[in-house]
Amino acid sequence: MTRADYCAVLFATLLLPYLYINQWTGDEAGISAAIMNGSETTEISLAHDHTLEINGALGTSIIKIEDGKIRFVASPCLGKQCIHSGWLEHAGEFAACLPNRISVAVLGEEPRFDSINF
Amino acid sequence: MKPRWLSLLLIATLGLTACSEAPPQVHKAKLFTLGTLVDVSVLHPNEATAQQAVKIVEDELAIINSQWHAWRDSPLTLINQQLAQGKTVTINSVSHHFLQQAQTLAANSNQLFNPAIGSLVSLWGFHHDDRPDGAPPVKEKIAAALKQAPSMANITLTETTLASNNPAVQFDFGAFGKGYAIDRAVEQLKLAGIENAIVNAGGDLRAIGAKGDRPWRIGVRHPIEAGVIASIETNGDESVFTSGNYERFFDFDGKRYHHIINPRSGYPANDAISVTVIHNNAATADAAATALFIAGETEWPQIAKQMGIDEVMLIGNDLTIHMTPKMAQRIQLEIDDAQVNIIAGDS
Amino acid sequence: MSEKPNSATATKNGITITTTAEDHLIAWLAALAIAIHIIESVLPSPLPGVKPGLANVITIAVFILYGWRTAVWVSMLRVLVGSILIGTFLSPTFMLSFSGAVASLIVLWLASRLPGEGLGPIGLCLITAMAHMFGQFYTAYLLFIPHDGLFKLLPLLMTAAVVFGIISGIIVRSMLLHLEKRKNNTTASATAQRNEQEE
Repeated sequence: MTRADYCAVLFATLLLPYLYINQWTGDEAGISAAIMNGSETTEISLAHDHTLEINGALGTSIIKIEDGKIRFVASPCLGKQCIHSGWLEHAGEFAACLPNRISVAVLGEEPRFDSINF
Repeated sequence: MKPRWLSLLLIATLGLTACSEAPPQVHKAKLFTLGTLVDVSVLHPNEATAQQAVKIVEDELAIINSQWHAWRDSPLTLINQQLAQGKTVTINSVSHHFLQQAQTLAANSNQLFNPAIGSLVSLWGFHHDDRPDGAPPVKEKIAAALKQAPSMANITLTETTLASNNPAVQFDFGAFGKGYAIDRAVEQLKLAGIENAIVNAGGDLRAIGAKGDRPWRIGVRHPIEAGVIASIETNGDESVFTSGNYERFFDFDGKRYHHIINPRSGYPANDAISVTVIHNNAATADAAATALFIAGETEWPQIAKQMGIDEVMLIGNDLTIHMTPKMAQRIQLEIDDAQVNIIAGDS
Repeated sequence: MSEKPNSATATKNGITITTTAEDHLIAWLAALAIAIHIIESVLPSPLPGVKPGLANVITIAVFILYGWRTAVWVSMLRVLVGSILIGTFLSPTFMLSFSGAVASLIVLWLASRLPGEGLGPIGLCLITAMAHMFGQFYTAYLLFIPHDGLFKLLPLLMTAAVVFGIISGIIVRSMLLHLEKRKNNTTASATAQRNEQEE
């Protein structure tokens, strides 16, 4: 192997990790959700099943992540709108418990829509 | 000499991989006000300016919320008390502007948009942020409220005074206030030099400008399933408002009762699942979406024409999508197998 | 390499083109490249567009032995004839193949301008494989799938290109060593024969 050959191999070895990092990070290869509690936002991956207890303004809301989907399962509000919203799966889908000041938004890669009207 | 071509190649490669452009940075913030979640998106190269813009929106919305809140103690509840007592209320020019717009919209909608039925709305229990599941009001009470027939036609409005000849008139601007507030907030944004933004209050929004070199893309949520039923690209300064039977409701005995009360029947309107309207003015779009929802599958074209709305999408109870021709040109359906009915237009 | 030019002579029966032994070898190699191309097209691939790219072995061997121009001939023959035989001429598959080959040949030309020893078979196969993959990828992105999500595949495709590039390089190297040996044996035996004759 010539000197130039080694340079070429070196170049390739440097290029590959660069490509992986560049194209694959920033957003997980899967979707995540942003959970907003008051003014704090936490991002959590939907890749693993979880049951979360979030303490909001009114009390504790229970949020479940299962099979890449997320939903409210229990909440101290009266109307239970948040629970009625059901499972959220695709980027842009959203549910909120307004009395408890907790909201859940599903994130994707580049959100297809800038805003959702409903 | 080897490093020369190596670095050239490296640069070329890096240049190529950088080809997937980063989208323009949109500053997003969520506010809790107007009884709902307000999403503000501002596109501005300066982060500090964008944050300031969000603050402007927050302040403006707070002002309007405190003035026109239908049930918490506010200038509005005071007005309602005075009107119930048959008194004439002194108003300022801002209120006059607000009330005049409401009155015109109500008239154009044949009073289907009726912000004077506050007592009926309260009867149904929707004067709480959070209405628990419980029984609907008894039909005698509804009939009694209906008989009194309060409407904006009972109102006499001058530059400085407001009077009503029907003591049953109780204002509830739920179907109009949000739009009005959004209009005011957007005006403030424009005054502050912001040209590209979206103010979305509980799903109803007004968008100005664009997202860099492409328009703002708005997804209209499916009224029943998860996901989006249609999408719209806004053009310039436009509002997109939807009234639906799924927004605020309570269930009782297997039946669902939602918050858009038909002033003619006294019961939640049930001739449509949702109505989406596009119009420049948010307040108009707000009132129109409500009025057209109440008008339902058969009456909506006439009311739309009267209100000067030419971009409407109404989803009927059987999920048929009715549209005006102009709406059909703009909107892109995101579902398959939709049953679509485009009404005859007059061009 | 001494290249005897092809000569065409006009006779009253038509035009006769005399071919050299070299032409035969090149034609044979081109045919081999086409055969490999066709076989590879039948192979199932885990990711669209990922083929071992072993036809590149031929292109690079030709480049080393006969120079860039001949490599262009063999490469273009491979892509064109291969696609005609498979039936994908002018189809998207053809565009991808073609653009990959063009990118690869451009890089090969640049490599031929390198001073000194330049790149050996492994380096050549490696960079042409990468260039080929880039060329194909960008053609796919620009013409067929202008979707940013496609970039998610790029790291995987490039990894495959690098791996198969190096493998092809090793194959070319052993091929060339083998040819060297045979030539040396033939030269050695020819020299030995001449020496014998002279005695």
